[in-house]
Amino acid sequence: MPLWFARGLRRGVVTTRYPAGPDGSAAALPTPPAFRPVKLTRELVDVMISVCPGPALTRTADTLVFDVGSCTACGRCARVAPHAVTPSGEFELAATARSALVKRIPIRGGQR
Amino acid sequence: MKPGPDETATAEELRKQIAAQFGRSLHIRTLDTGSCAVCEQEIRLLAAPHYDLHRLGFFFTPAPRHADLLLVTGPMVRAFEVAARKTYEAMPGPKVVVATGACALGGVYPSDPFVHGEVDAVLPVDVWIPGCPPSPLALLHGLGVAVGRLAEKTPGLTFIADGDGGGG
Repeated sequence: MPLWFARGLRRGVVTTRYPAGPDGSAAALPTPPAFRPVKLTRELVDVMISVCPGPALTRTADTLVFDVGSCTACGRCARVAPHAVTPSGEFELAATARSALVKRIPIRGGQR
Repeated sequence: MKPGPDETATAEELRKQIAAQFGRSLHIRTLDTGSCAVCEQEIRLLAAPHYDLHRLGFFFTPAPRHADLLLVTGPMVRAFEVAARKTYEAMPGPKVVVATGACALGGVYPSDPFVHGEVDAVLPVDVWIPGCPPSPLALLHGLGVAVGRLAEKTPGLTFIADGDGGGG
Protein backbone atom coordinates (compact mmCIF):
# COMPACT_ATOMS: atom_id res chain seq x y z
CA MET A 1 0.00 0.00 0.00
CA PRO A 2 1.45 3.36 -0.97
CA LEU A 3 2.50 5.51 1.96
CA TRP A 4 0.40 8.50 0.89
CA PHE A 5 -2.73 6.33 0.95
CA ALA A 6 -2.02 5.14 4.47
CA ARG A 7 -1.31 8.67 5.61
CA GLY A 8 -4.46 9.91 3.94
CA LEU A 9 -6.57 7.45 5.88
CA ARG A 10 -5.41 9.02 9.13
CA ARG A 11 -7.77 11.71 10.24
CA GLY A 12 -6.96 15.25 9.27
CA VAL A 13 -3.66 14.54 7.57
CA VAL A 14 -3.17 16.22 4.24
CA THR A 15 -1.34 13.99 1.81
CA THR A 16 0.17 16.72 -0.31
CA ARG A 17 1.60 19.98 0.83
CA TYR A 18 1.29 23.03 -1.34
CA PRO A 19 3.08 23.19 -3.67
CA ALA A 20 4.00 19.56 -4.11
CA GLY A 21 6.12 20.55 -7.08
CA PRO A 22 6.40 23.16 -9.76
CA ASP A 23 3.24 23.31 -11.81
CA GLY A 24 3.92 22.46 -15.44
CA SER A 25 1.02 24.49 -16.76
CA ALA A 26 2.02 27.67 -14.93
CA ALA A 27 4.54 28.63 -17.60
CA ALA A 28 1.86 28.56 -20.28
CA LEU A 29 -0.42 30.98 -18.44
CA PRO A 30 -0.29 34.72 -18.99
CA THR A 31 1.67 36.39 -16.21
CA PRO A 32 2.38 40.05 -15.42
CA PRO A 33 5.33 41.53 -17.28
CA ALA A 34 8.84 42.01 -15.96
CA PHE A 35 10.75 45.02 -17.25
CA ARG A 36 14.39 45.54 -18.25
CA PRO A 37 15.40 48.92 -16.78
CA VAL A 38 18.33 49.42 -19.19
CA LYS A 39 16.01 49.06 -22.19
CA LEU A 40 13.37 51.44 -20.88
CA THR A 41 13.28 55.06 -21.98
CA ARG A 42 10.79 57.73 -20.97
CA GLU A 43 9.35 57.76 -24.50
CA LEU A 44 8.99 53.99 -24.60
CA VAL A 45 7.35 53.96 -21.18
CA ASP A 46 4.87 56.62 -22.32
CA VAL A 47 3.97 54.45 -25.31
CA MET A 48 3.46 51.46 -23.01
CA ILE A 49 1.26 53.55 -20.73
CA SER A 50 -0.84 54.62 -23.72
CA VAL A 51 -1.44 51.03 -24.85
CA CYS A 52 -2.17 49.73 -21.34
CA PRO A 53 -5.94 49.23 -21.12
CA GLY A 54 -6.03 49.80 -17.36
CA PRO A 55 -4.36 51.93 -14.71
CA ALA A 56 -1.53 49.43 -14.20
CA LEU A 57 1.26 51.60 -15.60
CA THR A 58 2.13 55.15 -14.62
CA ARG A 59 5.34 57.15 -14.73
CA THR A 60 6.90 59.60 -12.32
CA ALA A 61 9.99 61.21 -13.82
CA ASP A 62 12.46 58.34 -14.24
CA THR A 63 10.43 55.68 -12.51
CA LEU A 64 7.90 53.35 -14.04
CA VAL A 65 5.25 52.58 -11.43
CA PHE A 66 3.78 49.16 -12.10
CA ASP A 67 0.65 48.15 -10.19
CA VAL A 68 0.64 44.36 -10.41
CA GLY A 69 -2.85 44.24 -8.90
CA SER A 70 -4.28 46.24 -11.78
CA CYS A 71 -2.43 44.27 -14.44
CA THR A 72 -4.54 41.87 -16.50
CA ALA A 73 -1.47 40.34 -18.19
CA CYS A 74 -2.91 41.26 -21.59
CA GLY A 75 0.60 41.55 -23.05
CA ARG A 76 0.07 44.84 -24.92
CA CYS A 77 3.12 46.49 -23.35
CA ALA A 78 5.19 43.45 -24.31
CA ARG A 79 3.92 43.72 -27.86
CA VAL A 80 5.02 47.34 -28.31
CA ALA A 81 8.39 46.74 -26.60
CA PRO A 82 9.36 43.06 -26.84
CA HIS A 83 13.01 43.90 -26.13
CA ALA A 84 12.18 45.60 -22.84
CA VAL A 85 9.29 43.54 -21.51
CA THR A 86 9.15 39.81 -20.84
CA PRO A 87 6.59 37.67 -19.03
CA SER A 88 7.61 37.45 -15.37
CA GLY A 89 6.30 33.90 -14.89
CA GLU A 90 5.14 34.88 -11.41
CA PHE A 91 1.68 33.83 -10.34
CA GLU A 92 1.98 33.51 -6.56
CA LEU A 93 1.15 37.16 -6.11
CA ALA A 94 -1.27 37.24 -3.20
CA ALA A 95 -0.48 40.11 -0.86
CA THR A 96 -1.69 41.20 2.55
CA ALA A 97 -1.16 44.86 1.70
CA ARG A 98 -2.39 46.51 -1.47
CA SER A 99 0.73 48.70 -1.53
CA ALA A 100 2.93 45.58 -1.75
CA LEU A 101 1.58 45.09 -5.27
CA VAL A 102 2.82 48.45 -6.53
CA LYS A 103 6.33 48.10 -7.94
CA ARG A 104 8.70 50.89 -8.84
CA ILE A 105 10.93 50.20 -11.81
CA PRO A 106 13.79 52.59 -12.62
CA ILE A 107 14.07 53.84 -16.20
CA ARG A 108 17.76 53.52 -17.04
CA GLY A 109 17.83 53.62 -20.84
CA GLY A 110 18.18 56.67 -23.07
CA GLN A 111 19.73 58.93 -20.46
CA ARG A 112 22.16 61.57 -21.36
CA MET B 1 -19.19 29.16 19.65
CA LYS B 2 -16.74 31.70 20.87
CA PRO B 3 -17.66 35.35 20.46
CA GLY B 4 -16.17 37.14 17.50
CA PRO B 5 -13.11 39.33 17.78
CA ASP B 6 -13.51 43.01 18.38
CA GLU B 7 -13.65 45.07 15.24
CA THR B 8 -10.25 46.63 15.78
CA ALA B 9 -8.33 43.37 15.45
CA THR B 10 -5.75 43.58 12.71
CA ALA B 11 -5.52 41.16 9.82
CA GLU B 12 -2.46 39.59 11.41
CA GLU B 13 -4.29 38.91 14.67
CA LEU B 14 -7.20 37.55 12.69
CA ARG B 15 -4.95 35.17 10.82
CA LYS B 16 -3.44 33.87 14.03
CA GLN B 17 -6.89 33.45 15.51
CA ILE B 18 -8.08 31.62 12.42
CA ALA B 19 -5.07 29.32 12.43
CA ALA B 20 -5.71 28.52 16.08
CA GLN B 21 -9.47 28.14 15.86
CA PHE B 22 -9.93 26.45 12.54
CA GLY B 23 -6.75 24.43 12.34
CA ARG B 24 -6.93 22.54 9.13
CA SER B 25 -10.48 23.32 8.10
CA LEU B 26 -11.80 26.54 6.63
CA HIS B 27 -15.04 27.30 4.82
CA ILE B 28 -15.17 29.67 1.88
CA ARG B 29 -18.11 31.71 0.67
CA THR B 30 -17.68 33.15 -2.81
CA LEU B 31 -19.25 36.48 -3.64
CA ASP B 32 -19.60 37.74 -7.21
CA THR B 33 -19.95 41.51 -7.23
CA GLY B 34 -20.22 41.89 -10.98
CA SER B 35 -17.38 39.83 -12.39
CA CYS B 36 -17.35 38.38 -15.91
CA ALA B 37 -17.49 34.89 -14.34
CA VAL B 38 -14.03 33.82 -15.45
CA CYS B 39 -12.78 34.22 -11.86
CA GLU B 40 -15.67 31.94 -10.86
CA GLN B 41 -14.56 29.37 -13.41
CA GLU B 42 -11.07 29.39 -11.93
CA ILE B 43 -12.49 29.15 -8.40
CA ARG B 44 -14.60 26.20 -9.49
CA LEU B 45 -11.47 24.56 -10.90
CA LEU B 46 -10.01 24.53 -7.38
CA ALA B 47 -12.27 21.61 -6.57
CA ALA B 48 -11.07 19.62 -9.59
CA PRO B 49 -8.82 16.62 -8.89
CA HIS B 50 -5.79 18.42 -10.30
CA TYR B 51 -5.88 21.09 -7.58
CA ASP B 52 -8.22 19.46 -5.04
CA LEU B 53 -8.41 22.18 -2.42
CA HIS B 54 -10.26 19.88 -0.04
CA ARG B 55 -7.01 18.08 0.72
CA LEU B 56 -5.84 21.36 2.23
CA GLY B 57 -8.92 21.66 4.43
CA PHE B 58 -10.69 24.34 2.37
CA PHE B 59 -14.36 23.85 1.62
CA PHE B 60 -16.96 25.91 -0.20
CA THR B 61 -20.13 26.73 1.65
CA PRO B 62 -23.33 28.21 0.22
CA ALA B 63 -24.18 30.22 3.35
CA PRO B 64 -22.25 33.17 4.78
CA ARG B 65 -23.34 32.04 8.26
CA HIS B 66 -21.06 29.02 7.85
CA ALA B 67 -18.19 30.84 6.18
CA ASP B 68 -14.83 31.88 7.58
CA LEU B 69 -13.46 33.41 4.41
CA LEU B 70 -15.20 35.63 1.88
CA LEU B 71 -13.75 35.27 -1.61
CA VAL B 72 -14.92 38.36 -3.47
CA THR B 73 -14.69 38.75 -7.25
CA GLY B 74 -15.78 41.62 -9.47
CA PRO B 75 -15.53 45.41 -9.26
CA MET B 76 -18.20 45.82 -6.54
CA VAL B 77 -21.22 47.02 -8.50
CA ARG B 78 -22.99 49.71 -6.46
CA ALA B 79 -26.30 47.84 -6.72
CA PHE B 80 -24.60 44.97 -4.87
CA GLU B 81 -23.21 47.05 -2.03
CA VAL B 82 -26.01 46.29 0.44
CA ALA B 83 -25.87 42.57 -0.28
CA ALA B 84 -22.09 42.57 0.12
CA ARG B 85 -22.28 44.33 3.48
CA LYS B 86 -25.03 41.99 4.68
CA THR B 87 -23.01 38.97 3.60
CA TYR B 88 -20.00 40.24 5.51
CA GLU B 89 -22.06 41.02 8.61
CA ALA B 90 -23.72 37.59 8.48
CA MET B 91 -20.36 35.85 8.76
CA PRO B 92 -19.22 34.87 12.24
CA GLY B 93 -15.87 36.19 13.39
CA PRO B 94 -13.00 35.81 12.95
CA LYS B 95 -13.41 36.34 9.23
CA VAL B 96 -11.17 37.12 6.32
CA VAL B 97 -12.03 38.97 3.11
CA VAL B 98 -10.03 38.09 0.00
CA ALA B 99 -10.30 40.33 -3.07
CA THR B 100 -9.83 38.19 -6.16
CA GLY B 101 -8.90 39.27 -9.65
CA ALA B 102 -7.94 42.53 -11.32
CA CYS B 103 -11.55 43.88 -11.18
CA ALA B 104 -11.71 43.47 -7.42
CA LEU B 105 -8.31 45.15 -7.07
CA GLY B 106 -9.30 48.22 -9.04
CA GLY B 107 -7.53 47.38 -12.28
CA VAL B 108 -10.39 47.23 -14.74
CA TYR B 109 -13.25 49.56 -13.83
CA PRO B 110 -12.78 53.08 -12.52
CA SER B 111 -15.04 54.27 -9.74
CA ASP B 112 -18.15 55.67 -11.38
CA PRO B 113 -21.92 55.90 -10.73
CA PHE B 114 -22.30 52.19 -11.44
CA VAL B 115 -19.36 50.49 -9.74
CA HIS B 116 -17.13 51.25 -6.80
CA GLY B 117 -14.22 49.98 -8.89
CA GLU B 118 -12.67 47.94 -6.10
CA VAL B 119 -13.80 45.71 -3.26
CA ASP B 120 -11.81 47.63 -0.67
CA ALA B 121 -14.23 50.55 -1.03
CA VAL B 122 -16.97 48.53 0.70
CA LEU B 123 -15.43 45.59 2.57
CA PRO B 124 -12.26 45.48 4.69
CA VAL B 125 -9.99 43.42 2.44
CA ASP B 126 -7.26 41.36 4.13
CA VAL B 127 -5.65 39.65 1.14
CA TRP B 128 -5.41 40.76 -2.48
CA ILE B 129 -5.00 38.15 -5.26
CA PRO B 130 -4.01 39.71 -8.60
CA GLY B 131 -4.65 38.08 -11.95
CA CYS B 132 -7.14 38.28 -14.77
CA PRO B 133 -8.20 35.70 -13.91
CA PRO B 134 -5.98 34.37 -11.13
CA SER B 135 -5.12 30.78 -11.99
CA PRO B 136 -6.22 28.07 -9.56
CA LEU B 137 -2.68 27.84 -8.20
CA ALA B 138 -2.62 31.59 -7.66
CA LEU B 139 -5.91 31.28 -5.77
CA LEU B 140 -4.55 28.38 -3.75
CA HIS B 141 -1.52 30.44 -2.85
CA GLY B 142 -3.76 33.33 -1.90
CA LEU B 143 -5.85 31.15 0.36
CA GLY B 144 -2.67 29.84 1.96
CA VAL B 145 -1.50 33.40 2.54
CA ALA B 146 -4.90 34.36 3.93
CA VAL B 147 -4.75 31.73 6.66
CA GLY B 148 -1.05 32.23 7.31
CA ARG B 149 0.05 28.83 6.04
CA LEU B 150 2.10 30.11 3.13
CA ALA B 151 4.61 32.88 3.07
CA GLU B 152 3.88 35.97 1.06
CA LYS B 153 6.28 36.38 -1.84
CA THR B 154 5.06 39.60 -3.38
CA PRO B 155 6.99 42.16 -1.29
CA GLY B 156 10.22 40.54 -2.47
CA LEU B 157 9.36 40.54 -6.15
CA THR B 158 10.68 43.42 -8.24
CA PHE B 159 9.30 42.71 -11.74
CA ILE B 160 12.68 43.77 -13.02
CA ALA B 161 14.14 41.39 -15.58
CA ASP B 162 17.88 41.75 -15.67
CA GLY B 163 18.66 38.61 -17.57
CA ASP B 164 19.75 40.55 -20.62
CA GLY B 165 22.61 38.18 -21.26
CA GLY B 166 24.92 41.18 -21.62
CA GLY B 167 23.91 41.72 -25.23
CA GLY B 168 23.34 45.45 -25.91
